[in-house]
Amino acid sequence: MRVKLLGEALQHAGGKGEGTLVEVDDIHLSFAGVKAIDGVSFTVSNRELFAIIGPNGAGKTSIFNCLSGVYHPQVGAIRFLGKDILGTKPNKIAALGMARTFQNIELFPNLTVLDNLMLGRHLFLDYGPLAAMAWFGRTRRREIENREVVEAIIQFLELEPFRKSYVAMLPYGVQKRIELGRALAMEPKLLLLDEPAAGMNNEETEDMARAILDIKRELGIGMILVEHDMRVVMDLADTVLAIDFGKPIALGPPDQIQQNPDVIRAYLGQEHAVVEVHPGEDQ
Amino acid sequence: MTTIEVPSQQTDTATVASMIRERAGNDPVQVAMREKRLGIWQEITWEEYWESIEMVAHGLMALGVEPGDRVAIHSQNRPEWITADAACAAIRATCMGLYPTNPSAEVQYLLHNSGSKVLIAEDQEQVDKALAVKDALPELERIVYIEPRGVDVYDDPMLMSWDELLQLGRSHLATDPAALTQRMSDAQADDIAYLIYTSGTTGPPKGAMLTVGNVAFAAGLLRSNDGFVDPAPGPDDQLISFLPLCHVYEKGFGHWLNAAVGTVTNFGESLDTLTTDMREIQPTIFGAVPRIWEKMHAAVLVRMASASRLKKLNYGYWMRTAEKLGRQLVASGGVWSRGMRVRYALGNLFLFRALKERLGLGKCRHGITAAAPIAPEVVEFFMGIGVPIFEAYGMTESSAIGTTNRPGRVKLGTVGEAYSNIELRLDDESGEIVMRHPAVFAGYWRNPEATADTIDSDGWLHTGDVAEWVDGSHVKIVDRIKDIIITAGGKNISPSEIENALKVSPFIGEAIVIGDRRKFLSALIGIDFDVVSEWAQRKQLAHTTYRDLSEKPEVRELIQKAVTQANEAFASAEQIKKFVLLNKELDHEQGELTATQKVKRSVIEEKFAAEIEGMYR
Repeated sequence: MRVKLLGEALQHAGGKGEGTLVEVDDIHLSFAGVKAIDGVSFTVSNRELFAIIGPNGAGKTSIFNCLSGVYHPQVGAIRFLGKDILGTKPNKIAALGMARTFQNIELFPNLTVLDNLMLGRHLFLDYGPLAAMAWFGRTRRREIENREVVEAIIQFLELEPFRKSYVAMLPYGVQKRIELGRALAMEPKLLLLDEPAAGMNNEETEDMARAILDIKRELGIGMILVEHDMRVVMDLADTVLAIDFGKPIALGPPDQIQQNPDVIRAYLGQEHAVVEVHPGEDQ
Repeated sequence: MTTIEVPSQQTDTATVASMIRERAGNDPVQVAMREKRLGIWQEITWEEYWESIEMVAHGLMALGVEPGDRVAIHSQNRPEWITADAACAAIRATCMGLYPTNPSAEVQYLLHNSGSKVLIAEDQEQVDKALAVKDALPELERIVYIEPRGVDVYDDPMLMSWDELLQLGRSHLATDPAALTQRMSDAQADDIAYLIYTSGTTGPPKGAMLTVGNVAFAAGLLRSNDGFVDPAPGPDDQLISFLPLCHVYEKGFGHWLNAAVGTVTNFGESLDTLTTDMREIQPTIFGAVPRIWEKMHAAVLVRMASASRLKKLNYGYWMRTAEKLGRQLVASGGVWSRGMRVRYALGNLFLFRALKERLGLGKCRHGITAAAPIAPEVVEFFMGIGVPIFEAYGMTESSAIGTTNRPGRVKLGTVGEAYSNIELRLDDESGEIVMRHPAVFAGYWRNPEATADTIDSDGWLHTGDVAEWVDGSHVKIVDRIKDIIITAGGKNISPSEIENALKVSPFIGEAIVIGDRRKFLSALIGIDFDVVSEWAQRKQLAHTTYRDLSEKPEVRELIQKAVTQANEAFASAEQIKKFVLLNKELDHEQGELTATQKVKRSVIEEKFAAEIEGMYR
């Protein structure tokens, strides 16, 4: 088998057409009175790269946790592929086709890269533990199929030198790639990326950005990206949502968001922003 | 299975393409090469190989490539590389290779200087480099890309995929089936087969023109019994292709040897996976540059430093045996006595075999080191554990043909003896190596002045390397003529000898000796980051970057020890009195190394002028 593009190996991933993937409708989440998310709404379609930006503690990761079912917002609705998923368990949501990576890498450090990626295929295993002990028939076929998919991912993310290495021994940038690989192995319809470029050097960031664009183009997966590196966001995203203290302050294409005075204020502080945006007016 | 017809009016002018066609006719289902894809070694037979060459050759003809036109290839080593190369040979085009690491500006220079008509670029990275400078390349008509990822959405009329090229070839074959056979039988010995750009430690790269006749002579030498390997290489030999294929060394082993005698060329996944690929393939002939041998040697030392006590004891004992064996072998020229055999057999049982297999050299019957000088200690190490390694000498301009050590007649520190059917002598005055044989190149592309400086009117190639005879038969390279240091005291010193002595220490990755017209010798030293980092971790020395590590006083002390040790072997005037640690790794893109990882002295001396002056203040 000679895989040229990811789509040939990951046939279940991504959606067809331009349909809506996920709808978030006015969600509110608070912890003991502290409002983490305060009335956030947005929709993401197939093939869309949707970025959420905001200062530290603005509630970005909380939105991820609501989407993936870790948190349950008190008010509002979340529909994924037309289905209301509010209150659904994380594993059920994952099975529907939502995969994520984490800000702080969540891999099995004492397993090899290969095993970590194969674990990403658990949704595609349809044999029981007994069958797994005997290496024939369906078990064997499935393992080979899954390994082929995993190998295509290894090639795509250039992980060949690390196949048999233990994750714990590998540099941070490589671990980030493995995380993305594991999420891809699930062949998701929607991919949540929590700061994929955090802590990376320039070259690693560029590699990651290229990988994200390739995923979008070759698989047509919808992606929601939380990222601090503004260059990455502005270069990659189709739509950007800016939030501050859990409240949405702007939603639109990157070039608009960059000009938005509220966004500049949230990022740079009020006075500074006013001077920058309307020079002369405030003096 | 289709039978391959070899036309009866075969000419005497064998090209790489005609050799492959013949092989495909005789052993169609034998394995010609392997490529590791998605974790599995995939085999390519001679018949399949020849069929793709045919398609690519017809495709290139359909693109209007005429005899003498230049076709450039910019890719990592892979089957498509040598396929395209052989296709060029088949249609009498001139093939030119670029290093995968060549940045855009160099790509522009090389494509412009060669006047390439078609570029075969591996992937988006290489396509981008060419597209960025295409306006300055009026002669470039087509860019064929091998990997579609990211490129398939580009909308540039110049672009075409590898599959489209094969498709084009298929239809060209259907309309003009005799075109290829005709071109192949028209081949002449003085056709320019290759432009091989020499790395050029000074000035811009120059394109050395190698002819069909050069290649045929070089390939013939490799297959003959007078060649370097004894018994001569054949289809049972496994080689691994990892040095850049645009360089004459890898072309010789990975491509010409494969075509001429049918050795199997294996393409691993990447340069970073070489260790794994080696372990899986266990090559029987392994040609590498000193840097690779040194890295393997250092890797063993480092692993052993953090091994358990028992392992260390076992390793220590048998390595002392290996050292003795190595020295005895070197002294005897590679001839084994009975006592040596017994000790080696025991060592094999307890250590050597396992070690060799881990290195991927378990079946290696002939190791070669060439392209740069190697430290004798490294050769002794490999000889001692039972990997026969032979230093050889050649250059692009001589199609890699020059001298080699031969089994049973090794002299350590020399590059061996000249092949018996070539003329090689040392200039009486300067000691420069000059040679004359049918593999001496045809001159530099569009550069008659440089050609005249290199080949004299009698056809002697002036290599620019100064050497001396050892025992009247073996050649010992002193240095490049222009690198020789003359100290303020008037003493001639070869810096590379001292640099190699320094690089014996696994902690030292790079060393540049300074001292021309100075009172004493000094050195710029670059640490081997991996090794020193591992050492620092064991010492619980927290560190971050290369620079940070280089600046630690403990590291300086460590390197000082290594320098002192290296100095012991030299007379006072040749000792390093002061040194500075480089705060960055040298690299190709910043112009400090050539594409073959050789240090560009002039650039370095300029870049680190302040540091150098500091040592002499």
